[in-house]
Amino acid sequence: MNDHRSVGIVMIEDDEGHARLIEKNIRRAGILNDIRHFTDGTTALDFLFHAPDGPAKSGPSLVLLDLNLPDMSGTDILAKIKEEGSPLRRAPVVVLTTTDDKVEIQRCYDLGCNVYITKPVNYENFAQAIRQLGLFLSVIQVPEVEG
Amino acid sequence: MQGLSNASTGANPIGRILIATMATGFLALLIAAIAAAYAIRQDNRHSDWVVHTYRVETALVEARRLAEQQETARRGYMLAGSPAFLANFDRAHDALIPQLAELRRLTADNVRQHAPMRAVIQRLAELETVQRETNQLVQEGRGAEALRRFRADSGLQRMQKLREVFEAMAREERRLLARRDAEQMASRRTFSVVVGIAALLFALVTIVSFLTVRRYTRDLQQSRVALADLNATLEEQVKERTADLALANEEIQRFAYIVSHDLRSPLVNVMGFTAELSAATQPLSQLIDRAEAEAPHIVTEEARLAAREDLPEAIGFIRTSTAKMDRLINAILKLSREGRRVLAPEMIALDQLVEQITDSIRHVIDDRGVTLTIERPMPVIVSDRVALEQILSNLIENATKYRHPARAAEVHVSASQTPGRVIVAIRDNGRGIDPRDHQRIFDLFRRSGQQDQPGEGIGLAHVRALAYRLGGTISVESQLGEGATFFLSLPPTLSIEGA
Repeated sequence: MNDHRSVGIVMIEDDEGHARLIEKNIRRAGILNDIRHFTDGTTALDFLFHAPDGPAKSGPSLVLLDLNLPDMSGTDILAKIKEEGSPLRRAPVVVLTTTDDKVEIQRCYDLGCNVYITKPVNYENFAQAIRQLGLFLSVIQVPEVEG
Repeated sequence: MQGLSNASTGANPIGRILIATMATGFLALLIAAIAAAYAIRQDNRHSDWVVHTYRVETALVEARRLAEQQETARRGYMLAGSPAFLANFDRAHDALIPQLAELRRLTADNVRQHAPMRAVIQRLAELETVQRETNQLVQEGRGAEALRRFRADSGLQRMQKLREVFEAMAREERRLLARRDAEQMASRRTFSVVVGIAALLFALVTIVSFLTVRRYTRDLQQSRVALADLNATLEEQVKERTADLALANEEIQRFAYIVSHDLRSPLVNVMGFTAELSAATQPLSQLIDRAEAEAPHIVTEEARLAAREDLPEAIGFIRTSTAKMDRLINAILKLSREGRRVLAPEMIALDQLVEQITDSIRHVIDDRGVTLTIERPMPVIVSDRVALEQILSNLIENATKYRHPARAAEVHVSASQTPGRVIVAIRDNGRGIDPRDHQRIFDLFRRSGQQDQPGEGIGLAHVRALAYRLGGTISVESQLGEGATFFLSLPPTLSIEGA
């Protein structure tokens, strides 16, 4: 990334513990980008599309998405982000969830998810995966948000 | 179903009713027969009495005629003096004597005839005396004397009296006859009434049994219709139930799936933060080391123990427990996922499949020093390859796993075909399974015997779930210490309808 600070990370994860562990490991990978954390789908969508400092209004961003949310399914959020005409349709979405069901994975990629990662229960693997994700985040190019 | 059970429980009362009506019918018949026999006997007796009466009357008339004839002969003799009249008189007299005896015998049964009878005999005797006197006079030629006597005592009155007595006797007989007629009529009426009642009873019995039989027939008809209906809808019902079952099964699968996922989520936290804790103990322990080296007085025994022993021990226990928990959850997930997998039946040569499985775990078999034999030939089966492979590899792996310490391990795999069933038998000479545990070992997370081998108690539960899905069953025959044989029974052709 050319400018680390310009790309915000939006993390939608209902489990506080998971969120904390993810954040810790991303930081350990040396990623210093701003991370905004939401525990439910409604406020997350509101932030994504309507907040003045949200991705739709200002600056490129990357979404970390859990599929099991209390108020809606993560796939609904994914569909909204990736649907035709969405200002965020080019924003990279990383699905990070416990489900490793084949059907679910296929559905997410069909909807346009960029990366699908299963949370390993084994913490070492988990930490490893997140750190690698951090490394990945440090090199990918994130497109600018359209008008 | 309603009609069926009605008919079966209603059979006994109907049978009882039929028996009761039949018994009543026979009783009625018997009564009628007895009444008829009695009536016939009465009739016969009556006829006898009628004959008797007529005989008495005839005897009476005859006696009277003879008496009259005797008198007429005397009178003729008196008037004409011809000996032919005398002979006539004697003939009449000779006939009259037995006639009277006969009459006496006939009327002996009736007390009321005794007195007139005696009167008849007495009067006839008196008359005879007079007659014989006049006859004697005529014989001696004293005809005028006889006539004079006759005029004086014509015997007319005596004759008249005799006639009256005869008349009375005849009347008495007729009275008896009339009375017997009346009795006869009464007995006939009684007979008619009895026969009428019997006929009525018979008719009643007929009606009751007819109605009973009709009701029974109707019940039978109804249950037959119900049965036919049931038959017709059976297919549909089976389909419905199968669909229900499939739905329920799906529900359970989904439930297991969701539960295992939701259980996994907190587990990620427990393990993650335990790792964080573990990482955090490192600097702490280093700090203690440094403090001990540089300023031993600030290090308390408690702090040292906590950093060096208590914390690592606690973390170690949390880790092993969560690891186990994770394996269990994964097992549930695996089972539920297996239940959701779509089966794809195909032709499988069992011997080839077994060979393939033993090859894939060859290193394990060799490591454990197991002699494995495959008995050929084996039947060909149409089933799901993946499921069957998992079942057999689990069973074969188990057979090589639980060995008897005292003997060289041997595993024997064979298969046989019976109509409608293919049975695969996996026999080992291992440590065996207590018969009490034969059911338990197929339950999830349950194991049997000494827990000296790694495992979570998942394999056989998985095997059973798979066997059920393939339309089969799994069972075991074993005694503790004497090896075990697992029998997998499968349909020769897997039908995926409703699965």
